[in-house]
Amino acid sequence: MSTLQLVTRPLDATPWGFRSRTFHVVIALASVIPILLSGIVGIIFNIPIPVNLIIIFLPLQLIAAISAAIKTQGKRGIPDAILSVLVIFATTFVVVMLGSVLYSVVRLGLRAMSAHFIYQNSVYVTTTTSLDYGGAGHALIGTLLIVGLATLIAVPLGIACAVYLTETRGRFRGIVRFVAQSMSGLPSIVSGLFIYSVFIFSGISRPAGWLASAALVLLMLPTIIRMAEEVLKLVPGELRYAALALGAPQRRAFFQVVLPSAKTGLVTAVLLGLARIVGESAPLLLVLLPTPMTSVNVFSGEMSTLPTFIFLALTAGFDSGRARAWAAAFLLLFVVGLIFVAARIFSGKKIGR
Amino acid sequence: MNTRKVAQGDRAFIGIATASAVSILAIASSVLIFLSYRSWSTFTEQGLAFITGSTWDSTTDPGTFQIQPMIVGTLLIALLGLLIAVPTSIAVAYFIEFMAPPRLAKVATTFIDLLAALPSVVIGLWGIYVLVPQAISWSTLLSDNLGFIPLFNNETANPQGAPFIAAWTISIMIIPIITSVSREVMSRVDKELLSAASALGASSFTTARRVVIPNAKSGILGGILLGLGRALGETVAIFFVLNLVFETNWYKMLEPRGGNVASLIVSKFGEATESEISALMAAGVVLFIVTLIVNMIATSIVQRSEERMAS
Repeated sequence: MSTLQLVTRPLDATPWGFRSRTFHVVIALASVIPILLSGIVGIIFNIPIPVNLIIIFLPLQLIAAISAAIKTQGKRGIPDAILSVLVIFATTFVVVMLGSVLYSVVRLGLRAMSAHFIYQNSVYVTTTTSLDYGGAGHALIGTLLIVGLATLIAVPLGIACAVYLTETRGRFRGIVRFVAQSMSGLPSIVSGLFIYSVFIFSGISRPAGWLASAALVLLMLPTIIRMAEEVLKLVPGELRYAALALGAPQRRAFFQVVLPSAKTGLVTAVLLGLARIVGESAPLLLVLLPTPMTSVNVFSGEMSTLPTFIFLALTAGFDSGRARAWAAAFLLLFVVGLIFVAARIFSGKKIGR
Repeated sequence: MNTRKVAQGDRAFIGIATASAVSILAIASSVLIFLSYRSWSTFTEQGLAFITGSTWDSTTDPGTFQIQPMIVGTLLIALLGLLIAVPTSIAVAYFIEFMAPPRLAKVATTFIDLLAALPSVVIGLWGIYVLVPQAISWSTLLSDNLGFIPLFNNETANPQGAPFIAAWTISIMIIPIITSVSREVMSRVDKELLSAASALGASSFTTARRVVIPNAKSGILGGILLGLGRALGETVAIFFVLNLVFETNWYKMLEPRGGNVASLIVSKFGEATESEISALMAAGVVLFIVTLIVNMIATSIVQRSEERMAS
């Protein structure tokens, strides 16, 4: 028996993996020179940053990348160089913008954030109250109650709809699917107007928490239906047939076989529906009257939620109000983040849109 | 178990599912029916002028309610927003899918999905305090240096509350949505096609142009239309940064004269008279119909592309 001998692979066996030293030098130069040059020119001639970025930096970077490409790959490298410069430029723009949103919410939000901001309400808060008193506790409770009630209605209804779409041979499947899809584009303000016209305009009810929940149900349903349908479709048909062949009635086949195997996916669907509605503010402005007091009565009277709290603190137009708005935005973002982490844990796989 | 009981139980099970499905249809149609019913008086009183005129006056009796500036403004802002969002979103999706190292791509995907759920009120908050000061310096630069182009002309010398700024804000909202859809579609491009392209010696530009874009085209279009639907219906973020003026502004994106149907509803609703509320509901109906059409087109495009992907 011969022993296996390790053979070192010659460098030129993978010509595409081989990079000469000049290659690295050229690439490094092409990425450093433009930003240095445009920075120096910008400082010397005092050119505003927007102009500098678009009129000096971008063309310079393109020229540098193109010459680097010609140096390393010849003429055919030119389109590649342009493509990567533009893609990275655009990506940087998006990263800066979205990063700035997150950064400012965290930085400005933490300024007014404290333990009492989470549990106190703002009954005694006036324009001159310092940030040491008062908070958005009432809004947090309101958000939890209103969103909770909306979930309580939307989840069974949405999942039952998904069951209709996947488990039955109903006649309206096509149209139900189509309507659910089109409803996902319902502008949130229109859902508020609808609830207003049905319940408040006609005098059935005064603005109250449950009306806000009803408006949110309309926004949450399409997400739940679509995602739950996809999850239920993923359950293999063989499982259903096996259960039915063993003599199980259809409902037991569903509740004991299909539902358990689709459970985590359904939880994810619900969580993404939640993420969709928890920050919704437009319909709540129409069907809910805000209050600085803590209220747990969803069925009558005024109530506050985090989004409306932010909206009002902002439109009130004084400094401490602005700080409170940022802190509430931080709280809201934290809630959305928690929902996403939960969704990620439950789904185990990547989160869909 | 006797068979009759089984049949009854199953009938109840199917009955409940059918009932909820039918109730969805009922809810969806009642949205349109109720809103049209409540706004009928406005449509009959104002006639076609409701969408072609530009006066809003609730002090006279009967009042004059016309929303052309708002409709035009909504379209202008949505189109400008798309102009910013579409190229950047496609670029980001391409970056995540084809250029980023796998670990970064994974993190970026999660982040983009999270940002797609960013509450609009938070974007609005960021818009007025962080973006507006920046955007104003950009728009002043544009109007000062390129003012001879009608598009960038600003005679009022006031850059605040212009459609340009609202469009920028809205683009930050819809970039995650379009990116998320485009990335998903790009990731479903057949890996064998990509390998075949590189085996034939195609450069990454050629691969992008000849393989990725043709295969992902309709899916990306669907994503863009979803973003458009969102941009048309967005309320609060625009309400904070836009100046609502009842004067039709077709294209002067740097002047502080903007319009937006959804923001109009929020801004007027608080102290509206009864006939004004009816007019606002009519505005809601118009908005709903426009977004419904956009969404139906988006849905059918996405469905068709999914069917093609599956086959």
